[in-house]
Amino acid sequence: MTPMIRNVVLPLAALIALALTPIFVIDSYTRHLFIIAFIYAIIASNWNLSLGQCGVFNFGHLTFFGVGVYTTAILAKTVGLNPLLAIAAAGVTAPIVAFLMAAPVARLKGIYVVLVTFAFSQLVMQLVLSQSQITGGAEGMVRIPYLKIGDYSFIRDYKLGYYYLCLGLLVVSTIFLILIARSPFGKSLKAVRDAEDYAVSRGISVSRQRVLALALSAIFTGVAGGFYAIYLRVASPEVFGFGTLTLALSMLLIGGVGTTYGPIVAALAISFATESLAGIRGFEEARYIVIAVAMILVLRLAPEGILGLFRRLTG
Amino acid sequence: MTNAIIEVVDACKSFGGLKAVKDVSFTVGAGEIFGIAGPNGSGKSTLFNLMTGIPYGPTSGEIRFDGTRIDRWPAHAIARSGLCRTFQKDAEFPDLTVLETLLVSAVYNGDLSASEAANEAQSVLELAQFDPNRVDMLSSELSVYEKKQLMIASALISKPKVLMLDEPASGLTKPEIAKLDALLLGVNRAGVTILLIEHVLSLLLSVSQRLIVLNQGAILAQGLPADVVKDPAVAEAYLGGGV
Repeated sequence: MTPMIRNVVLPLAALIALALTPIFVIDSYTRHLFIIAFIYAIIASNWNLSLGQCGVFNFGHLTFFGVGVYTTAILAKTVGLNPLLAIAAAGVTAPIVAFLMAAPVARLKGIYVVLVTFAFSQLVMQLVLSQSQITGGAEGMVRIPYLKIGDYSFIRDYKLGYYYLCLGLLVVSTIFLILIARSPFGKSLKAVRDAEDYAVSRGISVSRQRVLALALSAIFTGVAGGFYAIYLRVASPEVFGFGTLTLALSMLLIGGVGTTYGPIVAALAISFATESLAGIRGFEEARYIVIAVAMILVLRLAPEGILGLFRRLTG
Repeated sequence: MTNAIIEVVDACKSFGGLKAVKDVSFTVGAGEIFGIAGPNGSGKSTLFNLMTGIPYGPTSGEIRFDGTRIDRWPAHAIARSGLCRTFQKDAEFPDLTVLETLLVSAVYNGDLSASEAANEAQSVLELAQFDPNRVDMLSSELSVYEKKQLMIASALISKPKVLMLDEPASGLTKPEIAKLDALLLGVNRAGVTILLIEHVLSLLLSVSQRLIVLNQGAILAQGLPADVVKDPAVAEAYLGGGV
């Protein structure tokens, strides 16, 4: 299979298929599954920028999502800002938090990066829990204003508006990631990941690239968090929890670390697979075990992920 | 010797109780090919490391480059100032092609735009005698010699004042070493000062204008290559008693 087919034709065909899906899928529940899958796809593919492309073992990526959720929730509900602007604001606050997190980890390596980023995530969660007068504490925030543009309410038409808005966010986020990957900056991230000393000897500041990679990976992750808050109309500290983190991580690992499309494909596949398993009697709670087993099998048999496996099989 | 471009003054490097480099002082003239020899573990690569800050600087002493003290600078800033090195072991960016490797170096070390880098890559690859038909190959797919060529080309594209080569002939065949000899002389003729660590004595003696020999972290001998190899102390310590 030629790179043209693999990198352009297939993604475009997938995009057209997703754009046409609401014509055939008219029930709001299936559309809801697609929307949640798109959100996870944005989270996982942007996580790939720091973890896959730059090699930073960042276990605080869901912090950016959580910051996006609460930024939008507070601005839309407490401040009364237009929900669309509140979502956009999440794309600003999340990278700011990413800068704060990146500062102490920029010069660390390996397990220390994992520990510090995860600790930072827990720190932000504790902050959210402790500031209950602003964030709602453990109970979170509910009845966040829904999205309206003019007279059109996005909750009408079986979530059609939300579907296309979220698909649009995924497309813009993916184009953003592709442009980064193809730029000299994107190449420098791979250089830092694969041969740090060699990269430094070619004038690349490793700590600067790591900070930038984390901040850039936070932009659309934060926006996805903002969208999530407006779409579900809740903001809950669960978004900082280990369950959300491991689900997004499994999408990244199963899809293929270092690939742009892999985590997106895996996010769609895993979201629908877990939902399908939930409908099978006896599998309601076992679905996460199935994902864990799938992750182990993929890492063992195809460490490059399902997209890498697909590339290998198609030459 | 022409004006000194590098001055190393009483450089020391300690790892706990071990002194890997002891009070090493020497100067390198602009435009020179300066050789560094010594047996395994004599501190040659450690000396390169502390001069370039990759991955550490000196414990004490001074490194001056082009008249400016650089021994407390961040490593990437030293590289950007024009002191560019290669590595003893094959260093590569396995996911980048030859052209992408050059692009990264040109943009970050040479302050070139992507389009300028593409033009500059052609002339640098020519200077490094790299096969133009293989520029779209991934670095990981190159032969040992091609990887060495690429490592040198990726340094040259930023137009360094000084190129520091750490055992570039290791793992090469005799014909490849002959090609490397011609390549180094060509690079030097283009105005680049070269510091060369090398175990292949034929290459080192062929291209170097001056030489130091390290032993147990200290300078054992220095001078013209022809004089240094006749030094009995060098023959004893480095050449096992006979040339």
